[in-house]
Amino acid sequence: MATITLEGLSKVYGKGVKAVREIDLDIADGEFVVLVGPSGCGKSTTLRMIAGLEEISGGTLKIGGRVVNMQDPKQRNIAMVFQNYAIYPHMTVRQNIGFGLYTSKLDKAQKNQRIDAAAETLGLTPYLERRPAALSGGQRQRVAIGRAMVRDPVAFLFDEPLSNLDAQLRAQMRIEIKRLHQRLGTTIVYVTHDQVEAMTLADRIVVMRDGDILQVGSPTELYENPVDIFTARFIGSPAMNLLPATRTAGGVTIDGTSVQVALPAGGGDKLLIGVRPHEFVVDPSRAGQPGAFAVEGVVDAVEPLGPETLVHIKVGATEAIATAPGRVVPAVGQTVTAMAQPGSLHLFDAKTEKALPRP
Amino acid sequence: MADTTADPAPKGRIWDKLTIGQKRVVWAWVFLAIPIVFFVVIRFYPTFWAFWLSLTNWDLMRPARFIGLANYQRLLNDPAFWQVFRNTFAYLIIGTPISLLLSFVIAYYLDRVRFMHGFIRALYFVPFLTTAAAMAWVWRWFYQPVPIGVLNNILASIGLPAQPFLRSIEQGLPSIMVTAIWAGLGFQIIIFMAGLRAIPQTYYEAARIDGLGEWPILRKITLPLLKPTTVFLVVFSSIGFLRIFDQVYNMTTNDPGGPLNTTKPLVLMIYQTAFQSYAMGYAAAQTVVLFTILLIVSLLQLWVLRERK
Repeated sequence: MATITLEGLSKVYGKGVKAVREIDLDIADGEFVVLVGPSGCGKSTTLRMIAGLEEISGGTLKIGGRVVNMQDPKQRNIAMVFQNYAIYPHMTVRQNIGFGLYTSKLDKAQKNQRIDAAAETLGLTPYLERRPAALSGGQRQRVAIGRAMVRDPVAFLFDEPLSNLDAQLRAQMRIEIKRLHQRLGTTIVYVTHDQVEAMTLADRIVVMRDGDILQVGSPTELYENPVDIFTARFIGSPAMNLLPATRTAGGVTIDGTSVQVALPAGGGDKLLIGVRPHEFVVDPSRAGQPGAFAVEGVVDAVEPLGPETLVHIKVGATEAIATAPGRVVPAVGQTVTAMAQPGSLHLFDAKTEKALPRP
Repeated sequence: MADTTADPAPKGRIWDKLTIGQKRVVWAWVFLAIPIVFFVVIRFYPTFWAFWLSLTNWDLMRPARFIGLANYQRLLNDPAFWQVFRNTFAYLIIGTPISLLLSFVIAYYLDRVRFMHGFIRALYFVPFLTTAAAMAWVWRWFYQPVPIGVLNNILASIGLPAQPFLRSIEQGLPSIMVTAIWAGLGFQIIIFMAGLRAIPQTYYEAARIDGLGEWPILRKITLPLLKPTTVFLVVFSSIGFLRIFDQVYNMTTNDPGGPLNTTKPLVLMIYQTAFQSYAMGYAAAQTVVLFTILLIVSLLQLWVLRERK
């Protein structure tokens, strides 16, 4: 087990294309860190640099306090699980798991013991003599994890390990990986583009875009206090609504209607008011609540989910999603009032896209 | 309007009664029928006829007369046949492994080269596009004595004795084999490269993370995963060497298969027996022998290289 430290780490491809721009990150021993961002944000490149599969263009990478920039992957003693599992079709499950021990100096009995132990942990014991072709997607992914486990590495690196699985299996494997981390306590760096995976698995989430780190924090921190519009929209599902607003003396105007909001000083006149769909409620029974942030909109579509209904509304030209409780299903075309508690609002400067202090 | 939908053409009625699956089968057979008819008339019928001919003394002039296994007896007692038999297997046993090894090594390294990759690949592939006759004549020129032959000129310039190459009973066969290997190399390289490309990059990355070096990766991952490609090329290349003809014929036109039959393969012998001696029955017996050899060698290779479950 070890800490992983990135200091000004960067990756430049060929003709000056910067895939990763001088990022700093401290990963504590035993921490589960998830790198998340859209494709092309540099998260996989960062992971591959940690693994030693990609040359480091600048900065230093330390694993367990040792600078490993120039070391081969095998010298770093890390294990990696790939999106396509990278388990070998011509070997049995036992041989695949044992492949992680190829260079180890253990004798055959010890190796077998480790393979059996890993298989036991992952529930693969009945499949040890099978070929990967005879396994399901989830089982193959477990074989890949098993191969990583037997080595007893200082850190696990996961590169979008669940992307090839169907939704149901993905949810199941997510929990299994989380349990595995709790049991083994090994440092994990996990790359995904799926914010749900990031939220559910991570001790800390690192949001990346265009090779930069935008924000680092616990899932709750990121959800509650996104530093900019990108993170605000990226974390949370459905994504946060952003309503364009203009600052006035007493509050703001949204689509020509003035709305009362307490505003912090500073920032430009053009604002974006962020409100999460779950805190943006369409409920006629609570109409006229004093002090609430209230906006009128025309219902565009409704998605009843059972416990709640997602109400797509149009506020002027802006589309927004609000929720209606229980069995309240507004009619399409109807004008409704969506309300939010002032404390649940996020304010962003429309120009810089940075967050303003919460009202 | 209502009438047309209620009462379609009688032909359409039969077609409409077929299920989708049956319609597909009908269509498939419509397309398959043409090549099948073609192959039956042009290929299979003469093939089976050759088996019959091999038991006759047909010489184009008189009608064929059944003579039992006399042709085969004659073949077994013919020292020229055994010389040709040895030659054919020399082409096979030396040519196939060397050409496969060479093409694999080239493909393996070419796969990693980014600089002028397409151009280099094209260079290797050009021989495959060239007419065998033209190629053979160029190589024949290479092998000429000083001052015409390039190879002997090179040898002379570095002070080595000139070599007879095609004029020698020892060097004739290897000289022709070099040409044949070179001719087939481009194709084999392309196939090997396609096989190598089909192996996901992550297999190698995972192995590197597990600490394997180049050699174990090659032995444990690349070669086993390349096996279907290798099987195909072994069989394909073996059949090619067993049927070698153009190179030999064109490089030894003065005395095809010479000197002293030392470069003559079975196909050339068949050609001479049939179209110079007009001993059609005897030639047919030789083709049956060739057919049997091809069959046995291919089946043997498929069995040796079979997928073990």
